[in-house]
Amino acid sequence: MATFSAEVYQNEFLPDGGTDVHAIVTITCSGAGEAGRSGAGDAAEVVIVDTSGSMGREKIRAAQLAAAAALDQVLDGVWFAVIAGSHQARLAFPEAAQPRLVRMDSYTRSQAQAAVAGLRADGGTAMGTWLTLATRVFASVPGLAQKHAILLTDGINQHESPEDLSAAIESARGQFQCDCRGVGSDWQVAEVRRIATTLLGTVDLIARPEEMSADFERIMRQSMGRGVAEAALRVWAPQGAQVLFVRQVSPTVEDLTTRRQEVNPLTGAYPTGSWGDESRDYHVAVRLSAKGVGQEQLASRVQLAVGDEVVAQGLVKALWSNDDTLTTRIDPAVAHYTGQAELAEAIQDGLAAKASGDADVATAKLGRAVQLAAATGNDEATARLRKIVEIDDAGTGTVRLRRGVNKLDEMALDTASTKTTRVKK
Amino acid sequence: MTTVALTCPSCSGPVSAGDRYCEACGAELACEAPSGPASAASPVLTTAPRAGCRECGGEVAQDGYCTQCGARAVSARDHFSEEPAPWVAGVCDRGIRHQRNEDALALDAEPEPGSRAVMVVCDGVSSSQDCDVASLAAARTARDVLAGSTPRGAGTVAGQVAATVGVLEEAVTAANEAVIATTPAGAPNPPACTFVGAVLDESLLVVGWVGDSRAYWVPDEGEPRLLTIDDSYAAEQVALGVPRAEAEAGPQAHAITRWLGIDAPDHVPRTTSVEVLGPGWVLVCSDGLWNYCSEPGDVASLVHDTVWASTGAGPLELASALVDWANHQGGRDNITVALARAPAAPPPREERAAVEGTAAGALDPTTALPTLEPRQAAYREEGPPDGDVLS
Repeated sequence: MATFSAEVYQNEFLPDGGTDVHAIVTITCSGAGEAGRSGAGDAAEVVIVDTSGSMGREKIRAAQLAAAAALDQVLDGVWFAVIAGSHQARLAFPEAAQPRLVRMDSYTRSQAQAAVAGLRADGGTAMGTWLTLATRVFASVPGLAQKHAILLTDGINQHESPEDLSAAIESARGQFQCDCRGVGSDWQVAEVRRIATTLLGTVDLIARPEEMSADFERIMRQSMGRGVAEAALRVWAPQGAQVLFVRQVSPTVEDLTTRRQEVNPLTGAYPTGSWGDESRDYHVAVRLSAKGVGQEQLASRVQLAVGDEVVAQGLVKALWSNDDTLTTRIDPAVAHYTGQAELAEAIQDGLAAKASGDADVATAKLGRAVQLAAATGNDEATARLRKIVEIDDAGTGTVRLRRGVNKLDEMALDTASTKTTRVKK
Repeated sequence: MTTVALTCPSCSGPVSAGDRYCEACGAELACEAPSGPASAASPVLTTAPRAGCRECGGEVAQDGYCTQCGARAVSARDHFSEEPAPWVAGVCDRGIRHQRNEDALALDAEPEPGSRAVMVVCDGVSSSQDCDVASLAAARTARDVLAGSTPRGAGTVAGQVAATVGVLEEAVTAANEAVIATTPAGAPNPPACTFVGAVLDESLLVVGWVGDSRAYWVPDEGEPRLLTIDDSYAAEQVALGVPRAEAEAGPQAHAITRWLGIDAPDHVPRTTSVEVLGPGWVLVCSDGLWNYCSEPGDVASLVHDTVWASTGAGPLELASALVDWANHQGGRDNITVALARAPAAPPPREERAAVEGTAAGALDPTTALPTLEPRQAAYREEGPPDGDVLS
């Protein structure tokens, strides 16, 4: 039986006239169990492999091994399918005229492995069609509790319009979760990130084809360890208050603000996807009407709900005081994650400016990123930034753009930009 | 003290004073403070209030806050007042920083202004378990002992002082037993609290204390005085010549050297007596007030300013205004303020005048009391477990 807990980190003291309350809420799940085995409903997995011509012999071979490794991790009884994607989508397994799923057992596992081994590289890239087929495949079994896909691509979405891709992403929203991986340096991080973000998944770079198997195996093992099929973060704010933003800040930065679904006029729900044994941190900011010094108000109830049941709650408080020693302190967790979120933004903006040839903006943004990475102790980000810029002074963010930067280093910096380090508690 | 058999209001199962939850059904039990002058002795157990929000009328959630406006539902234990007579009143408040009110207040008075008043304030040691229950039990028990006995001695003032001191000692012993009665067997941090009791009988004021809760005499004119000497590390520093402001701001300022409770080194109150020549105020308070205003002159200014700002207000309004003032300073601790208005004194009787040489000779308690050696091992730090706030 999964259990959840919530911890709140904040400085609840506001100065006279202060209105904005910030808090980091850590939600921890334990005893999650295995996917599809909680009694809440079945789980399904779809592996989507890019089989466009650009995959070539080496990458398609690696993709075959990776898909096989992922299938090895799927638990018996879980529904599954394999999609081969090019400028169109094809159900590679099970072989069927209509979209469908089959249950994993020793027979279907060996059949699927054989089908995967027969994948050939041919054609173009239209990821929207892959997502649309995946949506239909998942819909072929009614009442599935947990639906997850792995999507592998190696190139730019050339064979359909951006509008078609957007429409396909929107249709898939809420239908399944999707972890996306790009292999090599010919795919666009922003494009694939859009898919992953909307479908509550991760995006990452696989620099070398031989790293693919281990990554797929890990993703699938993690997915199978997510025994809580679906949950939502609920944020209550008092009448007249405004929720400024709701942001996941660990393990990765994701702005959830626009994903609000109304539970009641004072409470919004933000889908979190499935949960294994893990902790996630959320940054919630609420704007209140200022109250008098000495008064107390609850600024937010931050809850985790599984279905309609609230399984954990943290209270975010506001206390107005004229004691400066209380009100001027910034909670270390709030400060840390505010910096990390700004770091992610600075990296992405800096790389975008660099790609569009605006060296001045790129230098300024990446300089700020270097400064933030140093200030928040994110050594991994500093190491990745160092491959893109020469750091003259990390403290002031003085940097120079390097010449002849390896495209993969730039993509690694981009995909990892949303990964945060935990605050030292 | 009357023994009352306590039962859970939800399932009628037996519960003990100090239980936070019913063993049988798990219902939350709250210590209900009385509204208005209380004569019944024991804390009454009721279920936690679930009435509508006082701010907006909305529903109050299980977490203690309104589901609509987020206002904290004030429990009867968090904030209460007593006014046994129009000339004697007190307010006991959670303050801002602390999660619960561990201070307690219990008063008694005869209706005739300036006749007889009993004021007791206890401050729970916040590092100890369930000290909110213990402090209320202590304050009420002591108040009942003091209210139930009107010592007159052998008809002389000295005799009356001695007899009142005797009753104060009895009251503190009973209060100590009440604290011990709330102590669970083998509690790692047994409940503990301070004690200050003031008995005003016409112009004779006798005060007894254990710990750092205080009594002041604030005449409308003339020199105000602090009647108590804290049983605290800071007070020891003051006695050694450290300036009060410096000593009370030090890191161990709130370490008290004596308290009530099962682990108390001793609980015999230190006492003093004074002839109060009204008009003026007897003020009894916890450190939630004096943390922000300690010197007698400052306390007098504060009281006089408060009186000036609320013309015609009685002790209840004034005590409430003083609590508000402390909350405006940050409300870092629970705050309790009790006031008795001493009317303009009748011409002193012959025998009262004679007091000056005896009991009143002990008016400056520093000369009458043994010098305390610092007893580090016996200190109790007041403050929440995380230690970032001192009581």
